[in-house]
This record gives sequence, structure tokens and C-alpha cells, in this order.
Amino acid sequence: MVKAMQKERLSTLELPSISTAEILVMAIAALWSNKLRTALTMLGVIIGITAVIAVTSVGQGVQSATEANLQNLGADILRVRAGSVNSGNVSQGSGSATTLTWSDAQAIASQVRVAETVTAYLEQNAQVVYAQNNTSTTVLGTDTNYAAVNSITLQSGRFFTEEELENAQAVAILGATVKDDLFGSSEAVGADIRIQGQRYSVLGVANEKGAQGRDNPDEQIYVPLMNMSARLVGNNALNGIAVQGISVKVTEQAQLEAADFQMTNLLRVRHNIHPSRGDEDDFQIISAADLVETLSSTVGLFTIMVVAIAAISLVVGGIGIANIMLVSVVERTREIGVRKAVGATNRAILSQFLAEAIAISAAGGGLGVGLGVAIARIAATLFDFPFVISLWAMALGVGLSFVIGIMAGVIPARSAAKLDPIIALRSD
Amino acid sequence: MPTMIWMEDICKTYRLGEVDVPILKGIDLTIEEGDYVSIMGASGSGKSTLMNIIGCLDRPSAGHYVLEGRNLTTLSDEGLAYIRNQRIGFVFQQFNLLSRSTALENVMLPMVYAGASRSQRRKQAEVALDRVGLGDRMGNRPSQLSGGQQQRVAIARALVNRPALVLADEPTGALDTHTSHEVMNLLTELNSQGITVVIVTHEPDIAAQTHRIIYVQDGLLQREPNH
Ligand SMILES: Nc1ncnc2c1ncn2[C@@H]1O[C@H](COP(=O)(O)OP(=O)(O)O)[C@@H](O)[C@H]1O
Ligand SMILES: [Mg+2]
Repeated sequence: MVKAMQKERLSTLELPSISTAEILVMAIAALWSNKLRTALTMLGVIIGITAVIAVTSVGQGVQSATEANLQNLGADILRVRAGSVNSGNVSQGSGSATTLTWSDAQAIASQVRVAETVTAYLEQNAQVVYAQNNTSTTVLGTDTNYAAVNSITLQSGRFFTEEELENAQAVAILGATVKDDLFGSSEAVGADIRIQGQRYSVLGVANEKGAQGRDNPDEQIYVPLMNMSARLVGNNALNGIAVQGISVKVTEQAQLEAADFQMTNLLRVRHNIHPSRGDEDDFQIISAADLVETLSSTVGLFTIMVVAIAAISLVVGGIGIANIMLVSVVERTREIGVRKAVGATNRAILSQFLAEAIAISAAGGGLGVGLGVAIARIAATLFDFPFVISLWAMALGVGLSFVIGIMAGVIPARSAAKLDPIIALRSD
Repeated sequence: MPTMIWMEDICKTYRLGEVDVPILKGIDLTIEEGDYVSIMGASGSGKSTLMNIIGCLDRPSAGHYVLEGRNLTTLSDEGLAYIRNQRIGFVFQQFNLLSRSTALENVMLPMVYAGASRSQRRKQAEVALDRVGLGDRMGNRPSQLSGGQQQRVAIARALVNRPALVLADEPTGALDTHTSHEVMNLLTELNSQGITVVIVTHEPDIAAQTHRIIYVQDGLLQREPNH
């Protein structure tokens, strides 16, 4: 008789599954009823996602700012500096005997075909005085090509001439800040200033240019190289006038590598360096592109480090959510029993607890994205670099928080779904 | 009259450590549609165990159970959830309301799992609460209600999906005499409207209000109390 009972009707005994919106409402209501715990549980995910968003955004901002900055330095310029690459004695270039000379610069200008304009410089910090005002600046002894290669333009007066260079005239061109410090708004051209006690006549004032890397042209003074070498530094290399750096503008950017190669060979010959003998170069050649690359890799490394820390924070956050969800299932055993008694299926219970875990994590992720963007925004304003929001980082942050929620919720939700209604109802 | 409950040789055995403890030892029970039955018996005799099996909260260890012509013996968990939701209303001694939810939300709960729309849920829950005389307490949480009121909310919840069968396991066990009467009047009224009602009780005067009394003793049913 029992077997004969309408078997076909049994197969249709199934409740419709609850809508996602319904489950979400239940999950949010449950989380809302325990706000402090919910907030604390979110913390790990908030911190992790905030770090990811803020760091990637700041990293990109800094990088694009520096790239723009270095482009400003000249994408078609190679810089030769005295000192070797490996031995770390680059510092020998500043002040004391240096291996790079004015005649090296002249040799490059005449023998390297892709070198369009060549300029050399010697630099030294010095105290500069005008009337009662004094300021410390960097004095650059250079030649007539310096302004062209470094895109320096004048707001008044003129640069020194070839003749004034050769004759080591005591003339100076002031950076914009130096002019403001010494003269304020009054006329500087034609006035006499003192650099390390020596009298110089001001020929011109440069336009404001802004800091570039660690140099700020606005805080510099330009004087003829011959004058600086003789009167301010007072030391010569064995074979001529020592310089600390030579800047070479190439005919076109595509020629950078050729110029690098030709200059290296030329300087090795002139300095009697034989790599085959194991000699080390006593100079190094750097392009703006090299600097961009170095900086990118530094920023990249920093980003990877912070993202790794953030990943740990996210894992810990996920474990925190799983832990709290397990506690919550135990605390709400009776509630689960009641829900099952009135017809909740195992799937409905599973969905509810999974939704709670995902809601906690996703809310944490959303807050983290907001906070990260805010931090990046503030940092960009504070440190003056462009504010870049990385969409993929935001998508990654939100996606990651969902995945964390699912992984953290699945075990507690399954243990809730599997509860026997009778046992659940009897608990307290 | 068509048969509501048909049970044959229902057994329930609990395993305690190494030993099997038989609680129900072969229950044969038939309850017709529209009947009003009370189950009595000593404490620990297995009344709740039997009610839980009738209410599809638990499965028998052996035997056959047919409800409204459906063989539930081999039904899946989902199938049992469907029966609990659509065909049966269960009333517990300890009310078992969700403490963080209002009376209205508690009554709407079975309809959430039935997939009813928000407005439909609200309408039907309000009707059910009106029916138990709590139309003015819908926004109260269980802690703001007396025991009798809480039990009436629980009855409204049992009614909201229009079940064919209402089961009440010692529904007055936690209530004083006056409120016990209110609750019994409600159940009697439900029965008079055609719903099959089965209650478990210790109190003879409560059992006397039903049409039929069944006694559980030593895991078996008796027609008369065995003194
Ligand atoms: N889950 C269980 N595990 C072990 N024993 C149980 C379980 N549930 C009930 N029992 C035992 O079964 C017996 C009958 O319980 P119950 O049906 O609640 O009795 P009643 O409702 O008649 O007082 C009791 O001795 C009780 O201890
Ligand atoms: Mg009992």
C-alpha cells in the first residue's frame, strides 16, 4: 500500500529558492544587529584593501610625476659624470681632482658625430652676498651652451659670451630664487654681488624652472667655467681644466645609444683605459631614460612589498571573518533551528550565512577602496604629484574582497546548513 | 473522512555511547483530517520524539509515515522542508521566536521561505496576527510581549502558510492557567475551522478539550492510560 502512494507528486515537493535580494536583506539585518562586531570583523579586509589601493595609486602618481620631471631634464640628453660605476667613488667628482676635463668636452663636440651640443660644468656650494642680503647657492661654472642644453631662458639681461668665457670674466647669471633672495623686486642686472668674497657683475636673471630631481636650477648661479676653475675652485687636472660633468644633446633621441657608444670609446682612448686589461671606466654615462628605469624599478619594488604586506593582512582578515562566522553559527544555533522548523532548506541557511560573510568582506573592501582613494588623494595634494586612480586596482580590491568573503564563509555556512533541526532547537 | 496521518510500526532509537536506546518501539497511528487529538504520557515517554517525527523535524529509525497520502519515509531533506513550510504549523513549549525580530517579522518568516512577495507576506502575516488577537502588537519584539502573547505570535506563525495540520508540543507548558485557556481556545477555534490539530499535554483538563486522547507508554500507544 505504501509503495503505491503517489510517488510522482513527491518529486515536485520543493520550495522555490529565495531571491538574492532577500538573502542580502537578511544578511545585512543580521550584521546590523551586531554593529561593533561587524565593524571589527571588517577591519582586516579594510586595512588590506586600503593599502593595496593607496599604494598602487601613489606609486603610479609618483612614477608619472617623475617621468614627466625627467622628460623635462631632457630625453635627448646624455650626461657624463666623473667617477666609476662600480667602485662607488663618484664622490671624487665633487671638488677634488677629477678625471673629466674641458678638453674631453671639446673632443666629444668635435669627434662624436651625433653630438649636437656639448656643455661642461663644475659646481660648488658657495655663499653669495649682495648689500645686507646673503644666501647659500650652488655656483655652476659652465660654458655658453649650458642654457641651450638645459632649456634655461632669461627673464632679463643676457648669458655670458664666448669671449667672456675664454677671458674668465667675473660675470654671473642668477637663478630666479637667488635673484629674489638677494634683490627682492629691485633690478639685479648690472649690480655687483660677492661670491665667496669675490666680486661678480650680474649679467642676467633666469626664468623660474622648478626643482628637477635633486637639483633646483632656480637656486643656482652660472659663471664662466674658466673663471670658476681659476678663481673659485683653483685646481686643474693634469691635462687641462677639470669638470664634474658633461651634458651632450644628441641630434635625435634615436641616436642616444650610438652617442653613448662613441663617447665611451672616445673617453676610454683619451683616458687610456683598456677594459681588456681589466681597467675600470673613470666616468659614467647616464640618460634620462636610465633614471626613469631606475626609479620605476624602485617604485615597483616598494609597491610589491606593500602589496605583499596587504595580502597578509587580507588573509588574516579572511581568517578573522571565518572565525567570527563560526562563533556566530554556534551562537545562533537555535535561530537556525527555528528557521529550519518553519521550512528553511539547507540551501537557504547556507546562502544566508555565506551572504553574511560576503557582505562583511565586500563592505570592508568597499570601505577600503574609498579609504585608499582618499589617502592617495591626500598624498597627491600633500606631496604634489598627479592623483591617479587605478581602475584595475579598484576592481581587484572589490573582487578580492568577494573571494575572501566566499572562502571565509563557506565552512561556517556549511556547518550551519548541516545542523539537525531537532538538535538546533534544543540548544540554548 | 480522508486520512491526515497514517503511521505504521514507527520506531526511534537513540544511540547513547555504545548502547542503542529505543524510545519509540513500533507506533501505529491514524489521524483523520479535521481531528483534534491530544497525546499524553509520562515525562520522557517519547511524546516530543513522536511529535517531531509527525512534524517532519526528525526521521523515524524504522517504519512508514504517510501524510495526506504522501509517503514521507524516504523523502529528501528538501522535501521535508517543503512539508514543514507548506503543510504543517509547529507550536513549541518555549515559543521559539526570533528574539531580534518583531512579531510581524516572526510571523512572516515561513513566507520568506515560501518565496512570497514582500507585500503578500505582510498582508498575510497581518491577517494571521489579527486572527490571534495581536493586531495591535505587530511591531513588538518577543521581549516586549507576555508569555501568552508570545505563544499567540507563534500560533500566528504556524498559521500563516495555511497548513493542513497544526502540531503543538505542550503549548501551555510555560503559561499560567488563564493564558493557557486563551491559547487552547485559539487551537480549538482553528480546529473548528477545519485544521487538524494535535497537541501534547500533561494536563487532563486540557486534554479533555480535544476529541481524542492518545497515551504513550513504554514506546507504544495505549487507548487508555495504564495505571
Ligand atoms: N537526541 C536525543 N538523544 C538521546 N536521547 C534523546 C534524544 N532526544 C530525546 N531523548 C530521550 O528520549 C526520551 C524521550 O524524550 P521526549 O520525546 O522528549 O519525551 P517527552 O516529550 O515525552 O517528555 C527521553 O529519555 C530523552 O532523554
Ligand atoms: Mg516533551
